[in-house]
Amino acid sequence: MAKATPETQLRSQVLATVTLSFVMDYVLLLQRIFDALFNSAIYSSLALALVIIFRSTGLLNFAQGEMATFTAYIAFVLLSGPQPRLTGGGLAGIIPGVPFTIPLAIIGAVICGMVAGAATERALIRPLGGASDLALVNITIGLLLAVNSLMAQWWGTGPRFFPAVFPSGAGQHFLIFGARLRYSTVGVWAILLSVLVLLVLLLRHTRAGLAFRAVSISPSNAELVGIRVGQTLMYGWALASGFGALAACLSANSVLLEPSMMLRVLVYAFAAATLGGLDSPKGALVGGLIIGLSQTLIPAYVPFIGFELSVLPALLSMIVILLIRPAGLFGTKRIERV
Amino acid sequence: MIGAEQRVSRLSAFGIAVLCLGLAVIPFVTTTTSLRQASQIIVSVLAVLGVNVATGYGGMISLGHGVFVGVGAFATGYYVDDLSMPWLLAIGLGAATAGVSGALVGLPALRIKGIHLALVTLGLAIVFRPLSKRFPSITGGVSGRSIEARFDAPGWWPGDTRMASSVYRYLFCVLVVLLALWATWNVVNSRFGRSMRALRDNDTAAAVYGIDLVSARVTTFAVSAGLAGLCGALQVVLVPFVSQDKFPAQESLVIYASAVVGGLGTIWGSVLGVIARTAVGKVGDSVAGFDGLGPIGEFFDLLDESAFVFGLGLIVLTFLFPRGLAGIRRKDRLRK
Repeated sequence: MAKATPETQLRSQVLATVTLSFVMDYVLLLQRIFDALFNSAIYSSLALALVIIFRSTGLLNFAQGEMATFTAYIAFVLLSGPQPRLTGGGLAGIIPGVPFTIPLAIIGAVICGMVAGAATERALIRPLGGASDLALVNITIGLLLAVNSLMAQWWGTGPRFFPAVFPSGAGQHFLIFGARLRYSTVGVWAILLSVLVLLVLLLRHTRAGLAFRAVSISPSNAELVGIRVGQTLMYGWALASGFGALAACLSANSVLLEPSMMLRVLVYAFAAATLGGLDSPKGALVGGLIIGLSQTLIPAYVPFIGFELSVLPALLSMIVILLIRPAGLFGTKRIERV
Repeated sequence: MIGAEQRVSRLSAFGIAVLCLGLAVIPFVTTTTSLRQASQIIVSVLAVLGVNVATGYGGMISLGHGVFVGVGAFATGYYVDDLSMPWLLAIGLGAATAGVSGALVGLPALRIKGIHLALVTLGLAIVFRPLSKRFPSITGGVSGRSIEARFDAPGWWPGDTRMASSVYRYLFCVLVVLLALWATWNVVNSRFGRSMRALRDNDTAAAVYGIDLVSARVTTFAVSAGLAGLCGALQVVLVPFVSQDKFPAQESLVIYASAVVGGLGTIWGSVLGVIARTAVGKVGDSVAGFDGLGPIGEFFDLLDESAFVFGLGLIVLTFLFPRGLAGIRRKDRLRK
């Protein structure tokens, strides 16, 4: 009898595990879903940032991830103070009260992100005045490259340890049906949902929110009724960059802080936003949930994909949704006129 | 509308003369190492040209051409080593493999347009490294693969020193690149090239005039990916080692940036883009040595990062000269 090679042995083992886990290992499945939920929240918030900008300006901000990473570095500098090893940390010397506590540092980073987002809209996007797709892609790709190498230059390319926002030690979890739901997952979702509630309140019950909704629907009509479109878009960019900053700060602990950390996350976020519909905030939330779950569950049950290729299903789902339903699950269909 | 000149203008003829003179002089004034570097720079024109064909002429934004360079390099290594093909065949097939993979990407491009295509190609650029690690028998996995076969000068080549061999490789690459530039110039000025540009400017109108959108888009993407693949194949000729870490997403973006900075929609743009990238790198190398200048010195260090300069260049040129370096002389702007 031919001896089974390690590969075939492994394959049959994996096959057995797959069948078993489908048939009876609910605990493992539940565990994987709980693990996936953390990433889902991160993808949802970055996707939300992309959607807010796309909805109002019809532009995909390719630099969203890098801008967010930059703010995570700012949080890092605020946390660790002016260390000699942090070249770009010299700035922290002039800020009173450094080093901050984690929540304060993240709030500082979010504020910096909002200011940077508003400045980007005012300085780089508005002067172009609705130029071609190509010009807008060029601007955001230029920003991506410049910010990425700026971070590499200031803070080095090596990964840095970013402290956890929520207690994430060995025993820090709820036990539900035998599966561990980490405090950090619950915490991230609590933050995401409360920020979302704030966003909805802002959009529904304030003048600025009303203006933003009007601009999203029709910039030219909004201008006719006296809304300052440019300024409103600037607020939109600030809001989006704030979401990006939050996503980066909350995930920096698990993916380790380094200049390109959000590049991979950006693919997932883009996939989430496309899946849900590029102009639908609800879609961003649902898309983030689906993409996050598929990122953990597909590699676990499809041995070929494995951990390394976990980004492949996200890319494929993005391509497929663009091919069969470009508007996404919740997006509005666009009619092309000639 | 970016029109391509049918005739070679006087300035272009002068430029071609200067370029050829420079290419002829280089082997006499360099060492083996710097000759290899020069060859690598010349070869990289092809990748930028590939982006130019897809984006500048075809109107399909591609942020992932580093992927096709990678496919060309890995495929050539596989053909020449594992299948023991002769070099010329392996190079041709390597480029063709990249072209086929480009056609596969071009297929979704039939429906996915503009900014969405940019998104998909960027995703591709990011996925390429983990994907190539997954197939270690072809790509050598994480650490890469060295290619056993050497692209050596044949018997009739005068001299058998290392320098003679390098000069042979250099001349081979220069010849291939010049041929590719000439062929691309002819293609973009042919009937097919005109339909490509018609498609870019208004695809519905182009279809009304009887242009087959499907075949035109797919062919454009295949040609453009094939050019990038040829670049990868020649990289293997120059350095018999390929590794996935040569093809990060940033590399794809810098290739794209070079194409835009040089100028989309003209063949000269690709050459100028690579010249600009090289010049930025050289200037960066020479100013990075200054120390003790405090924050100014830190700024000079930034110039060393050509990605930083190209990122800024992309933004500045979009505002001032949307046609890139090749279009500085023209007065009109690309703004709507």
